[in-house]
Amino acid sequence: MIKGKRILLYLCIIIILGWSFIPLYWLILSSIIPQVDLYSIPPHWIPTRITLENFKSILITGKGFRGGIGTTATELIKKGLINSLIVAGTTTLIMAVTAPLVGYVFARLNFPGKNLFFFYIIGMIAVPSWPVLIGLFSEFSKLGLLDTLGGLIILSVAYRMPFDTWFMKGYLDSVPTELEDAARIDGCTLLGAMFKVILPLSLPGLMAVVIISFLFSWNMFMAPLILTYTLKSKPITVTISEFVGQYYAEWNLMSAGALVAIIPPILVALLFQKYIIKGIVGGAIK
Amino acid sequence: MKIKNKGKWQESFYNIADNEKWLAYLILVPVVILIFFMAYFPAIQSFRFSLMYYNTRLPARAHFVGLNNYIKILKNPLFFEALKRTAYFVLIAVGTILCIALVFSLVLNENFKGRPILRALVMLAWAIPPVVNGFMWKWLLNGDFGFLNGILYQFGLISSYKPWLKDPFAALNWATLTFVWRFTPFVTILLLGALQSIPLELYDSAKVDGAGARSCLWYITLPLLRPMLTIALIIVMIFAFTVFDEIYTLTGLDPATKTLMMYDYELSFEKGRFGLGSALAYIIGIFMFLITYFYIKSIYKEVKH
Repeated sequence: MIKGKRILLYLCIIIILGWSFIPLYWLILSSIIPQVDLYSIPPHWIPTRITLENFKSILITGKGFRGGIGTTATELIKKGLINSLIVAGTTTLIMAVTAPLVGYVFARLNFPGKNLFFFYIIGMIAVPSWPVLIGLFSEFSKLGLLDTLGGLIILSVAYRMPFDTWFMKGYLDSVPTELEDAARIDGCTLLGAMFKVILPLSLPGLMAVVIISFLFSWNMFMAPLILTYTLKSKPITVTISEFVGQYYAEWNLMSAGALVAIIPPILVALLFQKYIIKGIVGGAIK
Repeated sequence: MKIKNKGKWQESFYNIADNEKWLAYLILVPVVILIFFMAYFPAIQSFRFSLMYYNTRLPARAHFVGLNNYIKILKNPLFFEALKRTAYFVLIAVGTILCIALVFSLVLNENFKGRPILRALVMLAWAIPPVVNGFMWKWLLNGDFGFLNGILYQFGLISSYKPWLKDPFAALNWATLTFVWRFTPFVTILLLGALQSIPLELYDSAKVDGAGARSCLWYITLPLLRPMLTIALIIVMIFAFTVFDEIYTLTGLDPATKTLMMYDYELSFEKGRFGLGSALAYIIGIFMFLITYFYIKSIYKEVKH
């Protein structure tokens, strides 16, 4: 009985491994073996010859645009990477400061209209994306925010707000109030108690907010697809989707490009998975 | 007492920093303004468009038409086809994701060597940008050199390569799988968190009473997992309903996978029909609102328990 269970368990583990990793393995494999090996039928499953030619041609040498507009692959990828780093980085910084403040307001303070404010912020989740995007397009074009990095940053900060508020409120609710009460008795102001006592205690929760915000704004696609149109502000997700269009037969090049786009979020996910798990679980329950 | 010794401006700062009401408003006002301009105002704006004939290519001809756009959309058979596709997509995605994630989380809850590594690997799919995920599956399923063809050929299951995305119904199923693959880790982690909060004593005392593994699962684990399963169900519904990125790269505007979201993109941004697009957006919005309403309601119910 016990042995049978063990075997079943290991079988499941192998299935999970395959399910999670095979698609990624295929992407990695396609980007590091020569095209001949990849396009043979069946392909070489285990890399015998490894080449970094694809990455080199994407990141350094570049190739012309098939459509003839004159943007090289290198430009698409590099500009996209920089834009994404700016947008995701700034969003993350802003959320790191605002999420604890707003969460604190709802977790600890009592003031008239508290529930109203809370539903105003959380209710944003219920506002569907298409009506907003269509309206935003005309709003952005009037305000001159179309095709700017600033516009994307404001947008992604706003869209993190309900989730991060919700999560930080939940997290702060679970932090005991005795310590801050003690600090208050010692003459700390509300804000002082927050920075000196509550913030350090809620650091693990804050980390979750910060990391999930980074991943969210890095992975954002629909809004930038509509709100940006030049390389000045297109993030990597948008440039990758164009890149895929122009090299339609060169799957090894496209795979290398896709890998470049997923390395930052995957690194973040691997390094900080502990916090992400906390963030996901805490955010849904609290 | 201390405050009295400080200067006047400091005193007023202390007053704000120490007055719950003012501190709260000071922090909330910028957030309220930001959200107004990024969500509520554009939503109102697009509601206005939905009552107008508004083609971005002919802006001069924009005029008020009342509910005509809504009627036009609801009378269009394309809308019902897209609705059917969306419903199918959501149904299959929700069912598959919950089943797979339940098994995954039960496995990850067991003790075995390398569990942290497996958990990290499972999470990878969730971190990938959806748009890249769509591309990855396009390549996995490619008809000329793709992975699926290669592996089936290798094991002799097919004699020649097949274009998997060509059949419309198959394409819709593959699109669903693409989403399932990305979203399963998220639900797995949710369920794993709930599993780990079940006190071990419950299982111990059940074992003392002679309960086997199966009845433990049936009478302890699943009932205690129910609240989280409900929450997960609704989260998956919301995200499945609004899938865009994956389909955009996997099949683009192919009619086979044209869900309501894709249909709206085509109307609004490919054809520039902001009026019709906004009306459809609001019809999608009503569905979304209903789902979200049940989500918030169910969370409140679970929290009370």
